[in-house]
Amino acid sequence: MEGNSAFHDAVLRMLESLLSQVALGNREAFEALYRETAARLFGICLRVLAERSEAEDALQDVFTTVWRKASQFDATRSGATSWLAMIARSKAIDRLRSLPARKNRADLELAEDIEDPGASPPQQAQAATDRAQLESCLEQLEPRRRALIRAAFFEGSTYEELATRLQAPLGSVKSWIRRSLLQLRECLGP
Amino acid sequence: MSAVDVPPEDTDDLLAAELVLGVLDSTQRRDLQARADSDRAFAERVSYWEGRFAPWLNDIQPVEPPARVWSRIGQRLGWQDADQASASLRGSLAFWRTAAALSALVAVVAIGALFQRPAQQVPVVSQPAGQAVTTLRHDDGTAGWLVSVDSARGSVLVVPVPAPANSQGRVPELWVIPAGQAPRSLGLVSGDRPWTVTVPANLRATLVSGSVLAVTLEVAAGAPHAAPAGPIVAKGSIQAL
Repeated sequence: MEGNSAFHDAVLRMLESLLSQVALGNREAFEALYRETAARLFGICLRVLAERSEAEDALQDVFTTVWRKASQFDATRSGATSWLAMIARSKAIDRLRSLPARKNRADLELAEDIEDPGASPPQQAQAATDRAQLESCLEQLEPRRRALIRAAFFEGSTYEELATRLQAPLGSVKSWIRRSLLQLRECLGP
Repeated sequence: MSAVDVPPEDTDDLLAAELVLGVLDSTQRRDLQARADSDRAFAERVSYWEGRFAPWLNDIQPVEPPARVWSRIGQRLGWQDADQASASLRGSLAFWRTAAALSALVAVVAIGALFQRPAQQVPVVSQPAGQAVTTLRHDDGTAGWLVSVDSARGSVLVVPVPAPANSQGRVPELWVIPAGQAPRSLGLVSGDRPWTVTVPANLRATLVSGSVLAVTLEVAAGAPHAAPAGPIVAKGSIQAL
């Protein structure tokens, strides 16, 4: 929808403008950026770290990183929302790795696609296009591998954890995921 | 067979994909993150995969973090005063520190925000969390300020687009012009910093589709003014979303 697309563009430009001012050490811009994005980024941290206090710590990691690395943001390479979201996910996974081994997660059953319970219709036109491309390329993978990629992404599980939960050899799991990634790369294009 | 045979030029791409997918252990992650900081070609591979998987993150529901997170971020960055004030208030104080004459205005607005809840949920535009965004443009079409309206919280974030300033000592004042009505002041904003305006409860109902937001240049004294005296330097319609 055109209205949503204009909204998305305006949000992106606002976040880019804020990031460029954060890069210059502007604290007001940093605070405004926090107000605009903290809830979304906290949601991402909570998705990886079920423990709330850990997710709060991860969110602190996210914003201290944003403060230090805002100058590395390059609007020609990535959108501001993607850049921030991926920092959040990355910091959450770093923190997940630093925790003692998790209680045994349920065995993975990859016979069918695991639907993401949090899924909602994409809100922006560009996001919808990117989303459609990702999904259509995933469709080309064998269903079990598609489910494996999805589980790996949303749970932040290591190869070792996935192998344990699938009760499959580590080498096979690595091989399935790597082949899937190469196939995705082929489909997604440069 | 435990490995996938890949051409050497694809190895980095695969490593970047594994890093973004999140399947590597902490040592591998640290090594590759350090590499991305110094190796631009590798950083571009990481950006590529981040961009491809980012749509999945759009699905995740936002969750408001507790206020203590912001204070702790301030502490970690060595900001002594971050502990005492909320993000918005501290931002206000920092900005207005050199404009002591206007501190009474800030106090009035802040107190107003404490006591006045939104009279109703104003349907601005169907966007996440009751938000609308618009651009206030100069006559020549260039962007002057980006504005984010949060009707639920009754706040308006005004972010200037960097441009040479030639305001001759006057300051930008933000106005809301409801369809067919006279401009109502939302107070002074900044020409060079992001600034959050807390909208008085009696004006929140004006933050709807069809209203125009405009910036004029005014003398600081006496703000918020009853009516604009200076020309409109930028404007945008909430309906133009």
